[in-house]
This record gives sequence, C-alpha cells and structure tokens, in this order.
Amino acid sequence: MAKLSDTIPNLVQHFGPTLHSIPSGGWTRNPQDEKLVKTHCCFCGQQCGIQLRVNNNKVVGFEPWETFPFNKGKLCPKGVKRYMQDEHPDRLKMPLQRIEGRGFEPLAWEPAMQRVVSEIRRIQERYGKDAFAVLTGASLTNEKAYLMGKFARVALQTANIDYNGRLCMVSAGAASKKIFGIDRSANPWSDIPKAKVILIAGANVAETAPITTDYLWQARENGAKLIILDPRMTPIARNADLFIPVRPGGDMAIFNGMLHIMIERGWIDREFIAQHTSGFDAVAETVRKYTPDFAAKIAGVPADMIVKVAELWGPAPTSFLLHARGIEHHSKGVDNCIAAINLVVASGRIGREGCGYAMITGQGNGQGGREQGQKCDQLPGSRDISNPEHRKYIAGVWGVPEESIPQKGLSAVPLVEAIHDGRIKGLISICFNPAVSLPDGNFVREALSKLEFYVNIDFFLSESGRYADIVLPGSLMEEDEGTTTNVEGRVILHRKAVSPPGEAREDWKILCDLAGLLGHKERFSYASPKEIFEELRVASKGGTSDYYGMSWERIDENNGMFWPCPEPGHPGTPRLYEGGKFGHPDGKAHFMPVEWRPSAEMPDAEYPIILTTGRVVSHFLSGTQTRRIGALMDQYPQPRCEMHPRLAEQLGVSDGGFVKVESRRGQIVVRALVVKTIRPDTVFVPYHWPLDRSANNCTIRAIDPVSNIPEFKICAVRISKTDQPTDEIAILGVEAGGIR
Amino acid sequence: MSQREFFIDYSRCIGCQACVQACAECDTHRGTSMIHLETIERLDSVQTAPQVCMHCENPVCARVCPADAIKKTPDGVVQSSLKPRCIACSNCVVSCPFGVPKYMAEFEQMMKCDMCYDRSSVGKKPMCAAVCPSGALTFTTMEEIQRTRRGIPVNSWTFGEEEVKTKVYVMVPREVDRVNVDLIQIAPTPSALPADPYDVALMLEVQQ
Amino acid sequence: MKPPITTPRISDTAHAMLWGLIAAMTLIVGILAGSRGLRDFDPALVSYAGASVLAGFGLGYRYAMWLRRPPTRLYWHRGWQIFLNPRRLPANLAHLARIVWNSVVLQRFIDRRSHLRWTAHWFLAWGCILAAAVTFPLSFGWVRFETAQDNQEIYRAFLFGIPLGSFHLGTTIAELTFNILDIAAVMVLIGVFFALWRRGRDHGAWSVQQFSNDMLPLIFLFAISITGLFLTISTHLMRGIYYGFLSQLHAITVILTLLYLPFGKFFHIFQRPAQLAIDFYKQDGAAGPQAGCSRCGQPFASRMHIDDLKTIQAALGIRYQLADGTHYQDVCPACRRKNLALTQDGLWKSQGPNPRGC
Repeated sequence: MAKLSDTIPNLVQHFGPTLHSIPSGGWTRNPQDEKLVKTHCCFCGQQCGIQLRVNNNKVVGFEPWETFPFNKGKLCPKGVKRYMQDEHPDRLKMPLQRIEGRGFEPLAWEPAMQRVVSEIRRIQERYGKDAFAVLTGASLTNEKAYLMGKFARVALQTANIDYNGRLCMVSAGAASKKIFGIDRSANPWSDIPKAKVILIAGANVAETAPITTDYLWQARENGAKLIILDPRMTPIARNADLFIPVRPGGDMAIFNGMLHIMIERGWIDREFIAQHTSGFDAVAETVRKYTPDFAAKIAGVPADMIVKVAELWGPAPTSFLLHARGIEHHSKGVDNCIAAINLVVASGRIGREGCGYAMITGQGNGQGGREQGQKCDQLPGSRDISNPEHRKYIAGVWGVPEESIPQKGLSAVPLVEAIHDGRIKGLISICFNPAVSLPDGNFVREALSKLEFYVNIDFFLSESGRYADIVLPGSLMEEDEGTTTNVEGRVILHRKAVSPPGEAREDWKILCDLAGLLGHKERFSYASPKEIFEELRVASKGGTSDYYGMSWERIDENNGMFWPCPEPGHPGTPRLYEGGKFGHPDGKAHFMPVEWRPSAEMPDAEYPIILTTGRVVSHFLSGTQTRRIGALMDQYPQPRCEMHPRLAEQLGVSDGGFVKVESRRGQIVVRALVVKTIRPDTVFVPYHWPLDRSANNCTIRAIDPVSNIPEFKICAVRISKTDQPTDEIAILGVEAGGIR
Repeated sequence: MSQREFFIDYSRCIGCQACVQACAECDTHRGTSMIHLETIERLDSVQTAPQVCMHCENPVCARVCPADAIKKTPDGVVQSSLKPRCIACSNCVVSCPFGVPKYMAEFEQMMKCDMCYDRSSVGKKPMCAAVCPSGALTFTTMEEIQRTRRGIPVNSWTFGEEEVKTKVYVMVPREVDRVNVDLIQIAPTPSALPADPYDVALMLEVQQ
Repeated sequence: MKPPITTPRISDTAHAMLWGLIAAMTLIVGILAGSRGLRDFDPALVSYAGASVLAGFGLGYRYAMWLRRPPTRLYWHRGWQIFLNPRRLPANLAHLARIVWNSVVLQRFIDRRSHLRWTAHWFLAWGCILAAAVTFPLSFGWVRFETAQDNQEIYRAFLFGIPLGSFHLGTTIAELTFNILDIAAVMVLIGVFFALWRRGRDHGAWSVQQFSNDMLPLIFLFAISITGLFLTISTHLMRGIYYGFLSQLHAITVILTLLYLPFGKFFHIFQRPAQLAIDFYKQDGAAGPQAGCSRCGQPFASRMHIDDLKTIQAALGIRYQLADGTHYQDVCPACRRKNLALTQDGLWKSQGPNPRGC
C-alpha cells in the first residue's frame, strides 16, 4: 500500500523541503582551490551554458560561460543559484523504505533492489505486464530518456510508459509534426534578431525563457515590431508594439482572424503555397467566417486589434513566430498551434534567414526528452510505436523480437486514471512529481495512494515520493554526464562536476542494475552514458530526429550540434525547411483547417471566473528543486492570485488579502495580488507549490484528444475573501506548502 | 580589445532578478547583494529597473562623507566605504543622486556596488552584467554598443542644477545628450502617456 | 537648532598646524608634570617620548583637518550638542557605557562582518591597547618601578610619583607585570596571523586591498612585536646577545609606527569614536520629526538629517534645487531609482511605439 506512512508535517520535518541558503564552504572562497566545469543549467529547455565551481568534489559556486553561443554567459536567477542544490541537507543518500506510521527508514541497496524486483514480478505475474507502469521525465538526459523507454519495453515489457513532457511540449510537437512533418523548432535562435516582425503567443518569455529576451530586444534594436498575445501584460508585453490581452482559450480566433484578413488583402504567398504546401483551400474556407468581429468576440478583445495584428504580420518582409504553453495547455492545444503555424506557412516566411517558427521548450530536456522513446506512443528517433517498420528497426537495435515490444500505452493523465480505477497496480517513477504537476491534484494524490507498489527514483523526497514504498537515491544533473537537446534542437553535453554523495547512484546505473535483476543484463550492460549514446545514435538513425552522425566529441567541439545529423561528416541542421523542403514524405507542408471550440469548462454563474496557471521566474516546474533553494524562495516565496482591481473590488478583496480559489475539483487559499496588468475576467496562480497551495487542486483533468496535454490554462473558479488559515499545512514553511 | 564600459538600458529590464542573485556571488561582498531592483508600481505596471552604482567622476557620496571613507580607485570605480573609517551616518545613502549606497545595519557600515572589483579589475564582466538576460545591464566596448543599439550612450545627468558625470552610461534616443532629472514624476508613468498605459481593462474598453 | 557651520576664517593648514602644536605642547607639558619635572623620566626612553610628541602634533593636525570638512564639523558639533544636553546627559552616559562595551570592548559589529575578521581585529586591538597602556606611561615617566629599600625581592610601583602598591618577586602579579609586553606582542602576532590568513584565503579581500593601507600596518605591528619578543629572548635565553642592536631595531620600528599613526590606517583609532556621536545623532533624529519623501510620502530619514544635509550640500556646492522649487534631497533613495528608470523609459516611450523600429 502506498498511502502516506506518516503525517505531512513529520515527513516535511525529516525530508524537507528545507531551505539551503549558504553555499558549501561558506561565502568566502579561494579560487586557487577550485576547478571550473563547463556544463549546462538544468532549469529549462534553453539549457544555458554555465561553469560550475568545484572544490573538493563539492559544487561551491558558478562562473558565467561567456563563449557558449546560445546564452553568452547570461543566466536567469535559477541558473545563478542552481549550484545551491548541491550539498543540500535534504539530499537523499540512502535507499529508503516506507514503514507504516513511521515514515521512511534507510535500507541497503541490495534488499531495496530485491524488493523492487520481487514486487515488479509479483504485480506483473498477477495482473499482467501492463499493470506495472513507468512515469518518467523530460528533464532527464537523452541517454536516460532512451534508457527509460528501453527499460519499459524490454525489461518490463509494459505498454504503459509516459513522461511529464506530456504536460509540456506535446501539443506543439503534434502540430509541428502534422504540418511540417518534423517536431522541432524550425530555426536556431540566431534567426530571431533578423526578423522584422515577431509574434509571441502564450509565452511569458521574461519569466519562463528569460535568455530569449535579449534576442527579442536585439530584434527591436534592428527595427523589428513585437506582437504579444497573452491574458496578462508580461514584462515583454510592456514594450511590445502591439499587445493583445486575449481571453484564455481565444488565441485560435485571432490566428484564424489574421489569416482571414491576410487572404482578403493579398498578404499570403500564393506561389509558395502552390509549390510547397497542400491543403490551403480547406483552411481558406474555414477562416472565411473569422471576420475581425467574429474573431474578436471569441478572443474577447476589440476587433481593431485583430486588424492591427494582421496589418503588422501580413506584409512583413521577414517574420518569426514563437509560442509556448499559453496556447498549448488546452483541450484544443494542438489546434491552437496548427492555427498559428498556418499563419507562418501561408506567409511563406519559413526556412530562410530571419524567417521562422519556434516553440519555446519548457523542461530541461523538453526537446530531446520527447525524441528518445519514452513517450507512450514513440520509439527512439521520434519513431512511431504503431508503425511496423519502425518497430522492426528498433527491435533489431535492441536485439529483441519485434512482437515483444508492447504497443502504444496510456499517456500520463489516463495512466493516472488507470491507477485510480485499479487497472495499474505498480509504478516506477523518475524525474516526475505528479502530486504537484498533474491537474486535479486531489484525484492524483488519491490515485498514488491506491498503488500496491510504488518505487520512486529521486535526489530529494518529492511530494510524490512521499507515497512511495521504496525510494532510490538517484543523481542530480551535475552528478552524471550525458546530452540534452535544447530549445533550438541543439544537442549539447552536460559534464559531470561531482560524484553522487553518500550511497546515491547515477540514475542510469540504477536502471541498468534493475534491468539486470529482471533478467536482461546483456541488453543493459553499459559502461558509461557515452555507450548509451552510441546505441541511441544508432537507434535514431533514419528517424526524424537523427543523431547518427553525432558523437560526444563533435558535440563538445562545436558547442552543440543540431539534428538531423545523419552522417558522421554531416554539419548538423540548424535551420529546417530551407528551400521550402518540409518533413513529410511529399516534401510539402500540410495545411490543416482548425475550428475554434470552447474549452472543457467555461465560466458560468456558479464558477464565474477563469483561472489560468503558469510559472514564475525563480521556480522550476513542481518546485521540488527550487523550493529548496533559499535565495529563490526569497524571490517568490508563495503563490499569489493575480487579479484586476475591478474584479478585486467586486469580490471585496484587497491587495495582499487572503482568498479562497475554488473549482468543482478542489480549492486553494492564497494571498491576492491586485494588478491592472491582467484581464478582469481572469485570475492567474503559479503552480510550483504543493498541497493546499497547489493551483492544480483546481485545474481540470481534461486533455487534448490528439496530444493528451491537460488543460492547465483554463478552468472555471469562484473566489471569496477568507481568513488566514491556521491548519497544520498552513503553518508549515512556505517551501512545504504553508502560507504567510 | 578596447576598454569595456558599463551600459544601462532601464527600459529593457524584465525584473527577473538574475542581477540581484548574481550580485551576491561577487567575491568582494559574497552573500550580500548590492544591486537595487525596483518594481516601479506593481499595481499599475510590470515595469522594473535595476540600479548599479554609476561611479560618478566627483561622487556626491564621497563629498558628503564625514569620515572620508569613500574612495575611488585610479580606474574610476567608487568603492564601498572603508571598513575602519565608515561611521555609519548614512549621509551617502540619502545624498546619492542615483539612490545607490546601502546602509547595512547589521555590519554598521555603508556598502555599495563596486562594479565587482574582483572581476572588473582583471578584465572580467561584473556579475550582474554578465548574467543579465535582457541586456538592461551590459558590459562591453563602446564600439560594440554603438554597433548593436539604436540609441546612444550618455553619461551626463542633471539633478536640478547639479551636473553629474558618471563612468556608467545610460542608453537614450539619439537626439538626447544629457538626462535631466529635474521633474519629479509623482505619477508612476510619464506625463506624455495616457494616464494608465498598462491597464488591461482600459485596453479592452477604450477601443471597443 | 541652528546649523553649526561657520566659514573658516584662517586657512585650513594654518588652523590645523595650530591644533597640532597645541596637541604637541599639551603632551610635553603632560610629560613634564607627570614625571615630576623629569625626575621620574627614564632618559633611555627619550626617543620614544620624542616620537610620541611628533605623533601628537600629527594627530592634532590631522584631526583638525578632518574636522574642517563640512559634514564632519556638523556631526562634531551636533554630536556634542546632543550628548551634553543636560536633560539627557544621564541617559546618554548610560547609553555610552553600553555602546563602549559592545562596540569597543567586544567589537561585536566586526564579528557580524566575519568571525575571522573579528578574531584578527580583537587580538590586534587589545594587544595594542595593552602595550600602549604600559609603554606610553613608562616612556613619559608617568609610571616607574623601584625595588624596596629594605628588600630586593619587593618591587614598588609609582604613578605620577604617587605609590601605587608593591609586589613580591616570583608572584603571579610580578610575572604578569614583567611580561605584559610579551603577552601583548603575542596577542598582536596572533592577530597579524589571522589577518594575513584571512587576506590570503578570501578572494574578495585580496582583490580590493592596497599595500599601503592594508598590508603596511600589519607589517609595522609584526615588526614591533617580533623585535620586542626578540629582546625578551635575548635577555632570558641568549644571555643578552645582540641586545643593543635589537633594542635599537625595536625603537626604530616603534618610532616609524608612531610617525605613521596620524596618516595611515591607524588613524581610525582616533576617528572611529565619532561613530558614538552618530549613534546619539540617530537616536535624537528618530525621536524627532521624520522627513517624508516628496514622491511617495514615506518617511525615509529624520527631518534633522535631511535639513542638515541640505546645509552640508550648500557648503559643498551641491545644488539639488529643482526648477519647480522643490528639492531633490526631499526624494527618497527608492523613488530616485524609480524616477531615473521612468525618466529614461519615458524618453523612449515619448517617441511612440518602438521608436527604434520605424
């Protein structure tokens, strides 16, 4: 049984989150004792270059890495303070086993692994292979992501493996794949400053991809016009040439409305459309009814804003479109992205210098993490698990019969639903904190507590790990080596700075040992992550994301390499679709008509306000790392509910006052932040906090039918003034879910 | 390579506080951040602005210091107060036209941005300018800034009748040769703009 | 209260020379009187006394020069004004005792900067104070020891010729008295060791330190202490070998340090007590009316401080009066920073949307 084995305050007392505020060795330092290790930040998909200062196997500070081309030394606050997760008091250094009523007790590796293996065997024998599931993460290196997929399909032979990239990039990926035939940002970031018009939809660049800011400002210095679509005026929007405060869920109407005007005024590239695309007529037919007035009504903005944005975007000589979760976290997330991409393709401004398209990856290895076969529907090299050819190739690489590879399994949300209704009995998870990050938090935590056996690999005891039967201490990014693929599609190398502390082990070793104990030793006998990469590279050969021509040495020498890189002498491909050559077999881009539809839950009389969720700059995802770093907590200690003064007045709420935000599924109590920079019909709460401060208590378990991304960006809530809560969770530290 | 200088463009700031976090990593005052990051008026706007020491040619802080504790290095960097001398009177704190020095009550001493002297004195970028993701804080050569920016760098200021020349430059439109700070803007936004330029509700209303 | 700044009537140098002379003369008179007309004066120590007189001149000069600075003069006057206010004097004396204990005896504020810095400074400071408490009175002839006429084993101590008491050779008090300078020297050496250790280990410290300001004083103190200790070693362990040379070397180190006293880092010993005045000034200011920022309305300093600053600024030629009749000094530091950003952002915004683009 995986119910909580002790009270939450007790678990917090023993395993944190605890704030770490003073570096190992104190504030004064002597550079002569240190070495610098060139590696990358672990805290978002941009994967900025950073040098870690290492003294005596401890990370004691950082130094900007100014010659790394993507960020040139620049870092956001998370990058600056990421070194503080080393030598952390909460660090797990021994395997733990759950003891009913007493929390967790340390256990030696041998019995811990034996227990895991016997539970896997028991559950799979009793309930079938698929009753044991794998949840993995998009912040793992490519090598580990590859290994997770192989572990699930070969060692566990379960169909049910999925990853938390399901909460991040899948809508953008699916749309890109449908239209362009390739799931990757089309251009390197160096194309951004060369564009004359830049449209950013649903991306709070300043907080979620801060390093991209300089690229945008540089474009403005070069004369570019900047257009932002967002329900909130973000710091980038403040200096935009056009800011459209779109209603959450209304973006597609603006895109379709823009295309309507572009067609009407002849701002589409008919020649390009004829030569390099298919399906435009159906799209033109669909957008016919998206007149500015019609679109404006859906988008909740004045019609002339839609005219203005079309006038800026339509005739531009060069342009760049970027989007992120703001348009993707919807039950129509894929369609939103398709509508945006239609604009790019219709303009013909793609595949050349200063002309392009990109999705802003969120998680550390958001790009690479979805290519190596840890998605429920994918095999390595972005291959399709239901395609017989693809299955055959990978079966060959793995040395297993094709039929032994399971078919497509459940994606993250249905997988948790299957746990809840008892179809899945066992779970191994790594790099995923569903108790905080999945929608409908109460349901998710209830599901976790129904598992017969749950093994969690992590470096800190996360909110999800509290439900585990066995916790295995894994490795931080700087305690292992491997590659990741950044927001641009650039494959880069993370170097090992220190070795894992105590008895903690590199994640890949844990997995290989488990696979060995499960009887697959010969297929998991790697001496190093580099050997895994060598296999990954072969597995990706001929796939969309082809790494075959890369080696760690080449990646290192070139400050990263862009896939596809099909041959050892190939220079890599920073810019896709040059010459109008797209990724589909016919070489064309495939337009797709998309029609706006309401979100799963629209505001009504009972729950009249739209809740939208997102991030703040000093925290990363479920916060299990950043809520443990003192300086980052000081910067943004607890979630607040952003609302317009007009709404605040209606509710009788004042700035800083306590409010209860309630949906049909759950509630939170947080302080209000009253600002004029948000739409009056919408409130915003960041999602990095657990328990009674978790915005996901309110969000809805609705998913996009194609990408299966949850609808984090819109649900209906009601808000009321309340008193400061004083229960046992409320009085915890804010890092643990308390409130001040 | 020619001499690198410090340039500020407040309008680029996105308030991410990378500078604040990185400032505390500078070895001359590690653990204590010296840079200021102002949220101008959160109710009305998301505007934020960083403030490093401008390193005046004739620093007001040093002139009003009774203890003669504020010194400039030969390369023009105004240092934190000398620890043995500073008598913690805060004259510098309330006199500096840029609002830079900080009185550290715990240490009974004034401390301030010293352009990361441990770094800039050996040719490295100051921490804040090295990490700043928005380019609001930039440490580069004059040629590079002129090549990459539309505006121009100036380092002359007036505060009333007081003229101040600084080592650090600010980016302004081309026709501006000096920043005159003689109008105190009580309102959070310049008088040239609509009363509430960042109110989303007004944006949705006005044009409908 | 009226701002206590007056325009100096004579040149700063002449004025300071005068105070230097007064200080030197006072010391000479003190030596003459305290040694009962040189009767108790030890001629062997005349070079020390002479150097002290020169140092006295230097300190007087430097102190007077320092007080010529308008901000210093203002605090000097204000400090005494507030401290000597008859109604507050008893409370002020009690407060003084408290801050002397915390800031001078324990030096707690240094400990908060860094434990290592505190360790170094505390040993240096108390080693020096101990040594000074012995050597100055000895070389001025204010204190002298002699053996009792009836018993060679008993020493008697005199202050200004007045018997202070006596002690028997071989007692702890005798050992302490005869070795007090060695104890002081060891304390100073411990302090020097910690100071150098800190400066060698702390990247921040060694990147801002200057030889003349930070290393030279440590070298002086090291030289005095080590040569002093060698004298003891020479006497007790090496049968007086090189004693003459060593005592001359020791004298030279002491004299150089005395002459350096008014001009280098050591001047803070005389200057730093001004912080006590600041403490009273702040207390008084906090009790009185506060100055509100003319932009945000929040209090940010005492009214007295802001008014005094305006006076100081006027004396220094800093002209913060604004065109509309207001005064920039009435804007709080946070609003100054915000105002700067708004001014610069406004320069761009007043050119319309993306002025850089079109």
